Amino acid sequence: MFSSALLRHRRLIVFLTLGVVALAVLTEQVRTPDRRRVGWAGEAVEFALAPAATVLSRAGGAVSGAWSLLNEIGALRTENARLRAEVGRLREENAGLRPVAQENTRLGALLGFKEHQPYQTVATRVIGREPSDWFSTVLVDRGTLAGVRRNDPVVTSEGLVGHVIETGLTWSRVLLLLDPRSAVGVLAVRSREAGVAEGQGFPVLRVKYLARDADVQPGDEIVTSGLGQIYPRSLVVGTVIGISHAAGDMFQEALVRPSADLSHLEELLIVVRGGEQVAR
Amino acid sequence: MTRFVAYGVLALAALALEVTWLSDIRPGGAAVDPLLVLVVSVGLLHGPIEGAVVGAAAGLMQDVVTGVPLGLGMLGNLCAGFGAGLGEGRLYLEDLWLPAIAAFTLTIVRYAVWIGAGHMVSVLSVSLTEAVRVTVLAACYNGVVAIPIFRWLRRLDGALLRLSERPR
Repeated sequence: MFSSALLRHRRLIVFLTLGVVALAVLTEQVRTPDRRRVGWAGEAVEFALAPAATVLSRAGGAVSGAWSLLNEIGALRTENARLRAEVGRLREENAGLRPVAQENTRLGALLGFKEHQPYQTVATRVIGREPSDWFSTVLVDRGTLAGVRRNDPVVTSEGLVGHVIETGLTWSRVLLLLDPRSAVGVLAVRSREAGVAEGQGFPVLRVKYLARDADVQPGDEIVTSGLGQIYPRSLVVGTVIGISHAAGDMFQEALVRPSADLSHLEELLIVVRGGEQVAR
Repeated sequence: MTRFVAYGVLALAALALEVTWLSDIRPGGAAVDPLLVLVVSVGLLHGPIEGAVVGAAAGLMQDVVTGVPLGLGMLGNLCAGFGAGLGEGRLYLEDLWLPAIAAFTLTIVRYAVWIGAGHMVSVLSVSLTEAVRVTVLAACYNGVVAIPIFRWLRRLDGALLRLSERPR
């Protein structure tokens, strides 16, 4: 009878029992001054649960530490990204300033060259380049309005570049020394041996018609001879880098590397009044 | 037995979460209580006795770990677990919203008991409006997280059952 009643109300009994235990543990603390002294029941519970609490605290600390670490990593990543962006921006700025500095150097050299030349020149800027590999011409931003005419020589501070082959009002096309259509009367400065420097479509000129016994050696400087009716005398063309001399040939040939960097032309000088010998 | 060990591990994990991450995430001054949601879920799945026992044990653990007066959480979670179990056999457990509604309601019950008992033994002093505000917020948070927690717990129960029934 009693046991069946217990069985019937076991839910309530369990609930009430646990409730009473909880209240006992709770009220035990009220009698203590700091209200967190656990009393005999609490002490038993804490004794049983202290290891779990220790593990939990450590686990919590570990999780918290890991979380802090993750946060720190996140913050570092953000900072890293910001710094990378800053470096990128500064590099971009630097890259933007470098050409200005280089241009400044080039223009300074060009100005110095211009001041020491007896010729009247027009400064111009390259605005276009022949895209094919076989011909070498550039388009510049000065034309007949600036006094530029066909066959005007074109130079940089480093040396001869070529000559004008077409002109418009505000533009001109310059045939570079490297173009196979280009031929320039030249002299070896040291031995005064004369020849004709022709373009070959690649960055080395071939000086033809040098006398078979001409004294030309690698390292010799080559300048314009002034005999071709286009170029004035003594403009630097380049430096001899090799001699080809086959048995039985009437002439020898020299390979010359142009002094001007013809593959990276930006600012040029057009010699507009270079000599009266030029037929325009 | 295996199930109780699993619940113990889950309770520890929930407590570890509560005292670490969740203690820093308190929108509106209230925090999610995954341990209470676990207790409610156990009550829904296994009835009032198991809900009450798990609730009391988990509440006491919570009291010990969180440093509140011992017995407060035990009493509150005991009521929540027992209350959840009272629907045993009468509730449709497949209902998606059941755990959310149960967690919302029983969070209010738990907080009411918790605050009421604290007042009774003079270990807690909080205004009624503040108590209502925090209680409702916590109930909402618990209601939201109860849906996935209840589902995971059901899956875990199923897995443990299959494991125990496997022929040796």
